[in-house]
Amino acid sequence: MKLLLILLAFFLPSAALAQDQVALTSEVFVERTTTDANGASRVSLEPPGVVTPGDRLVFVLTYRNNGASPAADFAVTNPIPESVVFAGTESAGAVYSVDGGRTWGALAALTIPAADGTSRAATLADVTHVRWRFAQAIPPGNGGQLRFRGTVK
Amino acid sequence: MSDMRLIAPCGFAKRSHRLRFGWLTASALAAGTLCATSQARAAGTPAGTIINNSATATYDLPSGGQDIVTSNIVSLTVDELLDVSVASTDGGDVSVAPGATGQVLTFRVTNAGNGSEAFALTALDNVGGDDFDPSASAIVIDSSGNGVYDPGIDIVYVPGANDPVLAPDGSVLIFVLSDIPAGATNAQRGRVDLVAVAATGSGAPGTSFAGQGQGGGDAVVGATGADAEDDGFYAVAAASVSFVKSATVVDPFGGATRVPGSIITYQLVATVSGSGSLVNVRIADAIPAGSTFQSGSITLEAGTLSDAADADAGEFTGTGIAVRLGNVAAGGTRTVTFQVAID
Repeated sequence: MKLLLILLAFFLPSAALAQDQVALTSEVFVERTTTDANGASRVSLEPPGVVTPGDRLVFVLTYRNNGASPAADFAVTNPIPESVVFAGTESAGAVYSVDGGRTWGALAALTIPAADGTSRAATLADVTHVRWRFAQAIPPGNGGQLRFRGTVK
Repeated sequence: MSDMRLIAPCGFAKRSHRLRFGWLTASALAAGTLCATSQARAAGTPAGTIINNSATATYDLPSGGQDIVTSNIVSLTVDELLDVSVASTDGGDVSVAPGATGQVLTFRVTNAGNGSEAFALTALDNVGGDDFDPSASAIVIDSSGNGVYDPGIDIVYVPGANDPVLAPDGSVLIFVLSDIPAGATNAQRGRVDLVAVAATGSGAPGTSFAGQGQGGGDAVVGATGADAEDDGFYAVAAASVSFVKSATVVDPFGGATRVPGSIITYQLVATVSGSGSLVNVRIADAIPAGSTFQSGSITLEAGTLSDAADADAGEFTGTGIAVRLGNVAAGGTRTVTFQVAID
């Protein structure tokens, strides 16, 4: 068992070996609309027991600097899963990629090339990756949440 | 099944990992995403597909260099959505005759869900909204796939035994065969509904059948309730014929009295009403007792017919006249006249 661990450690990339001072967790919820007896509809976020095409998902990323020093040049990147259509983020500071992470920018600045050489403006549905970049370092002991929405294709 | 799909990595993720460093490496590391099929489907992501999500964070280390933190992977299994649609493909009422048997209505049943699903079929012939109830005698699957009912070739549906299994977005034509009551009259309509219900289950949208979905997940009833139907109509195109007989008398003195020697001209008008047409309409009328048929007096539409039984449409039979009118479409009339002399 020890030998196995040593071997594993040997082959793992060095970045993973370093003591990560930032923790990042990913969660996903399904947005359900329920109608109560009075006919009022209520939207709730539930852990996804069941998802089917058309379900609205909310992805929540939680980060926290557990280290002793500020985490500077902090950024979080999330590729959009293949079977999910990106539906936007409420968390400020997002930039997007519509070409699999090759180029990044505000959505309005991105275009999708067409076969005939022209291009069209990119839409939310074209987003392949979303990234938040923080201008300020994350102080020790601090953290936060990032959210984005998607729809099951 | 789903595990195999998971292993198949996204081509892009591999490439970027090799070619670049920094951001792209980070996204490649996080790419636990499924990249198997990205074709747009009306029915949505196939049942059993696993959606994985993971993010990466990067930041500068105090000692210099950059650290990459990869989050946990959250996985969702896409469950089977049970949805079905049924649509009549007849484009209008199917014309039938009273008493006709094996008359065909055609429907298309489509799997609107995202998993392979069997559908139970029912034909409802005793429904409202019509004038008569056809008697549905069989449901037949267009197994030859040619869109036309082929007796003896297309497979007769047996509930529970050969429920058609449809792939997501797949569809099949279904023929409903019905007998038309003999008492149905012209322009009456008879309705038959074809109902298709997902074999896994149906009910209120959102109803879940644990573990019964394709790919091992749950099966969930979609917006259609996994139970759909459409109506098809038969319309009786019955034509009927009515005869009106009238007589004009001319006596030997130029008057209109019925005395010996008076010539009576009978006019027979056949009128076909309803819809469709009547085939081989015939008129026969006996020469009244006490009168004698006048040779060469038969006319059809103002043209004279010979008395002999020959190539033309009518003759004198010795006791009466007979005229063959042929096929007469609804709305048409035929006028036949002949003359007799009062003995």
